[in-house]
Amino acid sequence: MDIFHHIFFGLGVALQPMNLLFCFIGVLIGTLVGVLPGLGPVAAISLLLPATFHAPPVASIIMLSGIYYGAMYGGSTTSILVNIPGEAASVVTCFDGYQMARKGRAGPALGIAAFGSFFAGTVGVIGLAFMAPPLAAMALKFGPPEYFSLMVLGLTVLTFLAGGSMLKSLMMACFGVVIGNIGLDLITAQPRFTFGLDVLLDGVGLVPVVMGLFGISEVFLNVEEKLSEREIFKTEFKGLLPNLRDWKESIWPIIRGSGLGFFLGILPGGGAVISSFVSYGVEKRLSKHPEEFGKGAIAGVAGPESANNAATAGAFIPLLTLGLPSNAVMAILLGALMIYNMPPGPRLITAHPDLFWGTISSMYIGNAMLLVLNLPLIGVWVQILKVPYPILFPLILLFCLIGAYSLNSNPVEIGLMLIFGVLGYLMKKFKFDGAPLVLAMVLGPLMDNSLRQSLLMSGGSGMIFFTRPICLVIFGAVAIILLLPVLPLISRIRKTVGEAEN
Amino acid sequence: MRNTDQSSSLFWIAVGIGIAIRSIKYGLGTFHEPGPGFITFFAGAILTFLSLALFFSSFSDQEKRGGLRSLWAGLEVGKVLYVILLLVAYALLLKSIGFLISTFVLLSLLFRVKGNYRVRTILFMSLLVTAVSYVIFEIWLKAQLPKGILERII
Repeated sequence: MDIFHHIFFGLGVALQPMNLLFCFIGVLIGTLVGVLPGLGPVAAISLLLPATFHAPPVASIIMLSGIYYGAMYGGSTTSILVNIPGEAASVVTCFDGYQMARKGRAGPALGIAAFGSFFAGTVGVIGLAFMAPPLAAMALKFGPPEYFSLMVLGLTVLTFLAGGSMLKSLMMACFGVVIGNIGLDLITAQPRFTFGLDVLLDGVGLVPVVMGLFGISEVFLNVEEKLSEREIFKTEFKGLLPNLRDWKESIWPIIRGSGLGFFLGILPGGGAVISSFVSYGVEKRLSKHPEEFGKGAIAGVAGPESANNAATAGAFIPLLTLGLPSNAVMAILLGALMIYNMPPGPRLITAHPDLFWGTISSMYIGNAMLLVLNLPLIGVWVQILKVPYPILFPLILLFCLIGAYSLNSNPVEIGLMLIFGVLGYLMKKFKFDGAPLVLAMVLGPLMDNSLRQSLLMSGGSGMIFFTRPICLVIFGAVAIILLLPVLPLISRIRKTVGEAEN
Repeated sequence: MRNTDQSSSLFWIAVGIGIAIRSIKYGLGTFHEPGPGFITFFAGAILTFLSLALFFSSFSDQEKRGGLRSLWAGLEVGKVLYVILLLVAYALLLKSIGFLISTFVLLSLLFRVKGNYRVRTILFMSLLVTAVSYVIFEIWLKAQLPKGILERII
């Protein structure tokens, strides 16, 4: 079959020594940021993006992807041992993982989280390899109106699923569109919102924006908190291998979590977080002993941990096939691909097969690396948690400063990053989500372009979006999503996810 | 302001109106031939509309009755302002003073913000981190960090 030929080709790319090294660095850093509370995958990828400009594009994307799924692994460690989720997708793992640790079963909890994640990662990668090419082939038939409507759908779904106030998320999406359109107009070459600053003629760079919104702002929030000692759970590790009963109770949650996570990951907006919550809910409902959930049920660890890992693979599908990022991490990867002159979309698979198949295959290798890395090194990760924040935060800030400066060897980039850092800090204070802003900023110029092309095609009639069948279906979906929050059940789910992310 | 959403929505209303007015100046064009300000005008207008909706809906929201001060109650906000000032000064002085000196000074001050270490420890940590970051970024990754007043020496 053709697909296996491609996978073997991808394995050839991923197994090149340079790519293997970058994959290893990626999953190692990913695990590290997953372990460290207050530093998520979005911030880590933002911080490391400038460093990759000096490396080959394929190796860079392999590394950045490794950070993303590596963080999902690492997040479980802190959830189980310290009851502090390293990142939002591991919140659910705290419920039963920490309770297992308190009962002296930290080992099996960490073990099942790692095995479940590995299985789910594998399912996700296989699904990605099979689903992406036909989707990309279909997307080749899309014209500017279809792309515009898809982008509107992407933004709407993201604002819907982002958690918290949908109104505020939509506001941030509008603001993001404007930020994305700062600079010279592509058609008339007229400067927009540059305020006479030459540095803005090329637009606002993605790197200072994401570093500011997600990296610097997080530091500000932590600096203002009064420090408290992190309580590391002291427990004897009596082996990491779950026993036969654990396996029996976990096998179906792992399989269900993997499937659920993969398909929810494809949807735009916080797939990993949503899927972990949905998986927990499903397992609790299907369990013969739902009363054990929250008191140390291993299925409550196995399902969500598998779901959040499978979701990371699913999230790559809209990015690599349609060029549409489904969350903030994917938006940064989209920006990275554009900087490397490899615009994602349906043509990516044929134009840069080494990147596409190499990245997919590297994810499989990366998952194996994570399994080897995570189980024996759990003791090391626990020690890293003890690095005091007074030492950690100046290092994070320095990394941001150097990263921003080295973009153009210009301190103005640092200034921009600080502006977005303060904005991000205030946004978090006032409960505005940064993800829709970043996504809209990346999509802004593409939306502008496809909207204007669509109107030119139709001779100025907006009806082009309602007479083409695909557009009509997509805009119908947009209308339904906008009306969904009115339903009380949906509203409750969004509120829970929003609270988890905060 | 009675609650935080009212304050933030007023800010975003001003931003939205500003964007819309500026976009009109750039030229909206027509539906046949949209101009450079077309999409940003609509983004600004929708932002204004949504901010107005947030403003009015916040009156009925019982959960957010705390004012602006409640956002910073019990927190060390002075430290955040101090860190922002340090970072702004770093951005302004980086080119003229150079990476090595400005980074060493910045780190020495930052390590004191949340920590309670001895001066000797802070100076040692700052020196170590500055040197390691210089080797990684300047020598290995060729990031071309500014040399400033040390240009003739290094």
